[in-house]
This record gives sequence, structure tokens and C-alpha cells, in this order.
Amino acid sequence: MSARPALPAPPTFTAGAARVFGLSLGEMLWSRRTVFLVLVTGAPVFLALVARIVQGSGVVPLRVNGAAVDGGSIFGMMIWVFFLRFIVPVLGVFYGTALIADEVEDRTLTYLFTRPIRRGAVLVGKYLAYIVCTTLVVLPSVVLVYFLLVPLGQVGRTFLAFAADLGLLALGLAAYGALFALVGAALKRPLVSGLVFVFGWEQIALIVPGYLKRFTVAHYVQGLVPHAMPSDGVAAVLQSVLRDNPPAAVCVLVLAGIVVTTLWLGVRAVESREYVLDQ
Amino acid sequence: MTIVATEHLSKWYGQVSGLNDVTVSVPSGITGLLGPNGAGKSTFMKLITGQLRPSKGQVRVLGEPIWDNPKLYQRIGFCPEQDAFYDRMTGREWVTALTGLQGFDERTAADAAARAIEAVELTEAADRKIGSYSKGMRQRIKLAQAIAHEPELLILDEPLSGMDPLMRRRTVKQIKEWARGGTSVLVSSHILHEVESMTSNILLVNNGRIVAEGDVHQIRDLIDEHPHTVSIRTTQAHAVARELLADEGVVSVRFEPGGLVVETGRPDAFYARVTDLAASGRFGPISEITSPDDNLQAVFQYLVKT
Repeated sequence: MSARPALPAPPTFTAGAARVFGLSLGEMLWSRRTVFLVLVTGAPVFLALVARIVQGSGVVPLRVNGAAVDGGSIFGMMIWVFFLRFIVPVLGVFYGTALIADEVEDRTLTYLFTRPIRRGAVLVGKYLAYIVCTTLVVLPSVVLVYFLLVPLGQVGRTFLAFAADLGLLALGLAAYGALFALVGAALKRPLVSGLVFVFGWEQIALIVPGYLKRFTVAHYVQGLVPHAMPSDGVAAVLQSVLRDNPPAAVCVLVLAGIVVTTLWLGVRAVESREYVLDQ
Repeated sequence: MTIVATEHLSKWYGQVSGLNDVTVSVPSGITGLLGPNGAGKSTFMKLITGQLRPSKGQVRVLGEPIWDNPKLYQRIGFCPEQDAFYDRMTGREWVTALTGLQGFDERTAADAAARAIEAVELTEAADRKIGSYSKGMRQRIKLAQAIAHEPELLILDEPLSGMDPLMRRRTVKQIKEWARGGTSVLVSSHILHEVESMTSNILLVNNGRIVAEGDVHQIRDLIDEHPHTVSIRTTQAHAVARELLADEGVVSVRFEPGGLVVETGRPDAFYARVTDLAASGRFGPISEITSPDDNLQAVFQYLVKT
């Protein structure tokens, strides 16, 4: 270390977030969590393939609750049952709460927090990596399911709804991810809190008459779904009876608001909180 | 010039005190932070690197407050104690990515990373995954990420831990060279001999307080009065033991799986002897030497009594 070079300008918040994004994306894409994600999103693809084979054989017509259904209807059901009710919120919980918690657990946070970038930029960079990583895995799975189930002749008629599906899933991933990034940045047991929110609070709030459902993410994501809600259980029947769909524009605005607000609060939490790492 | 200054600095973890009312001024050059495990070294290191916020008092590093002041990290390099990495990355990718966070463009960061990796003698292994590195190599790649942006102040937390004797010697030499080049170094350790090989300017920490500071040669004399325990990892423990027992200062030898534990009354001469043995290669590789902190604890107990 002889002639000390001139210092570059410290990275701006955006540049810092972009560099953390670059550092985190590869780590996230090849993590064990993503292998698990691929397996989970592979399940609906496998079922769609089975349905396609059954449908193609023409031996047994596809039926749901005794009624014959076409591929488009099954696709709509799969969007509800697999992606909206399970995959999107679960990914939001597992990835969002882990954005900072993983770095704390792996004791690598020190390397990021002793650099000339704002701590908040670390959270935002890792959040962006989460968005790219999850959409790269979830959306191709949806595309495969769609083309396996919907006959080519119906693609033109259903394509707009399909595009809406992709958009709402991406928005759902963004909203849940931002919310749980805040939870992960602010709380000590973020995973437990996240699971309680998704499988406790949201399930209850959606079947209670009144305004409580407005304090869930699911209410606004479900408000964007272009398919009929399947009645595949008592909770689902209650939900469909008590459902009051807000207008799509309101849903999009509220989900965008959730992303911006929770991410901002997450940034504030990371900037002010101390993280004590085990040696 | 003062590189780190604290005033009545305290840190509590709930009801537990990590550091208690520390007022200290660390000059430029090399300074050793010495204390047994649990003495408050790590808390002090975390406070002066801005990872923790003081419960009470102030910390200034290079003349500026460190908490919530990220631009100051352009002038600081930190090598933490924990053995933690992104194991899927190669050494080069990791150091380049972290150097990029300093604000350098991709090319400059890659060049700086390559220079730093060369300085710690890891060029040949730079394109291997960090997960495949030995403990000593992992220590060196951590040093590389700390020096790559050529900081004014290097803060090194137990940097020699896990290195083999030869690499220890080379790293000590390298740290001294960095200091000669104008970089101030604050290095923590629980091994007096290790710190003394770099500097005589020492801060002694115990029970969350700085108990002594400055050129503490008296401490050096005290250590000779207490047998010093050294653990050596080698495949030829009996042959190494026979060789070492011939030395005057060796008080006892005990064998354990994968090596031996030696008590010596003359640690300076002993460490030099082990390093020479490792360099000669006569007894196969001596992969690691470590020293538990009970050596230092004994000195502190003695100090408290007097």
C-alpha cells in the first residue's frame, strides 16, 4: 500500500443498492432456498402435465366436483390454489424475512455494513435481488402451466387474463416481499411472525365480515384475479361469500403503496437497529 | 495524530456490560488491543467500526463519529474475527465485489482486488471457491478484502488466528510493511507474543475496561513468569515433541488428537523455534499453532492481585 489513490465518490443510495443487488443475486439464485422454490413451483407444472396427458388421451374428461371443465378453468384454479394462496405468500415470508436475517445468521453482514453505502441500500439491493430471483422461477412455472393446460385455440381469447395473472403474481411477490423485508429488519423472530401473518391473520381476516380484510395483502392481490374463486373448502366458500372486490386500480395502488411504505420503514429499521453477530 | 478516540465509552447488552467507561486515544502506527476472550475486545472493535452504537459516551475514528457515517468506511479497512464468507464465490469474485462496494468501477475494483490478493499471497488460489480454502487461506482472503481499497486505517480482529507458523511470520511482516507505508493499524489478539511481534504500543483490556496502555514492557516481563501454553497441529506429534523437549524453556508436553500441547516459559524463543521447524519441513506440515487465552488470563489475575 504505497501511493494511496484518490478516493472515489462514495456510492449514492441507488448505486449502493445496485451493487448489493449484483452481489446478492447470484448467491440467492444458487441458494438451497431457491432449489426448494424450484421444487415447489415444479409441482403445479407436474400436475398440469398430468392433466394435459389425461385430456389428450380423451379417455376420461377432466372433471372438478363432477362437472367437466376445460383447460382454461383448471389453469384459473391452479392460479388460485397453488400460486395465490400458497406459493406467493410463502415465498414472500421465506425470502423477505431472510434478506437481513440470513446475513446475520451467516455473520456476513459485517462485510456489507462496513462499506461506504447506506445500510438501507443493502436492504433495497437485496430486496431487488429477491424480486428478480423469485419472478425468474415463479413466472416461467406459470407460463408452462398455462401452455400445458390451455389449448392453442383458446390462447388468443385468454391471453389478456393470462398477462394479468403474471402481473398480479409479480405484484404479489413484490408486496409480500417488501412487507416481510420490514418484518425481517425489525423483529428478532421474523419467520415465525411472517408465518403467523400469512397462515393466521390473513386467513382469519378474509372470512370475518367487515373491514378487517383491508389489513391483509391477500385482499388486494385476490382483487386482481381474473378467474372465479374455487370453492374448495369451508374457508374458501366463506371467503367467496364475504368477498368484496375492490376495483383493480385501487388494488394496484394499495399494493404499490404497501411496497413503498414497508420498504421505506424497512430501510429506517435497518439504519437504526444494531445487529449483534455471534463470533 | 489520533486515529481512534473514545470518551467515557460504555456499551451494555441489556443488563450485561460489554465495555465500561473507556476513555482512550489511539495514536497512528500499529497499536495492539490485547485481552482474554470476553474481556471486551470485540465490543470495542464493533464500536469503533460502527457496527454498534455506544450506550454512553463517544467514539471518533479519523476525527469523525463512526456510527451512521458510512462515507468514513472509504478510509477504513476492517478484517472481522468471524470465519464467515459467501462460500460459493471464488476469492477473487468476493474481494472484487466487496471492493466494488467502496465506490470503484468494476475494472478498478478488479485491479485493486488482484493487487490485494497478491499481497496476501493467494493469487494461485484466487479463482477457487472460498468454501475449499483452508482456515489460513480464509484468514488471508479476509485480509485482502480489508486492504484492497488501500485504507488509511486497518482494523484487524484476531488476524493471525488459524494461520500456520510461516504464514503468521509473513503476515506480521506484511502488516508492519503496511504501517511503514503510512497505514495505521489497530490489531486485536489474545496472544501477547503475537501483538508484540508487531508493536510495543498496546492497549490492555479486561472486564470491559482498558487496564493499561502504552509501551507495556512490564507486561512482557510478567508473561515470562507464567508458563505459556501453545497447541500445535501436526501429523508427527512425537517427533516434533522430541525436538522441542530439547529446548530449555519447554516445561511440559501433552499429546492430543492431531497434535500436541506444549507449556513453555520462553514463548519468544519457542515461537521462533516452531516457525523454523515448520520452515525446515523436517517433520511434515505444521498446519496450525494456537494459544489459549489462559496465558493472558494468568497475567491479568496477577495484575489485579498487585
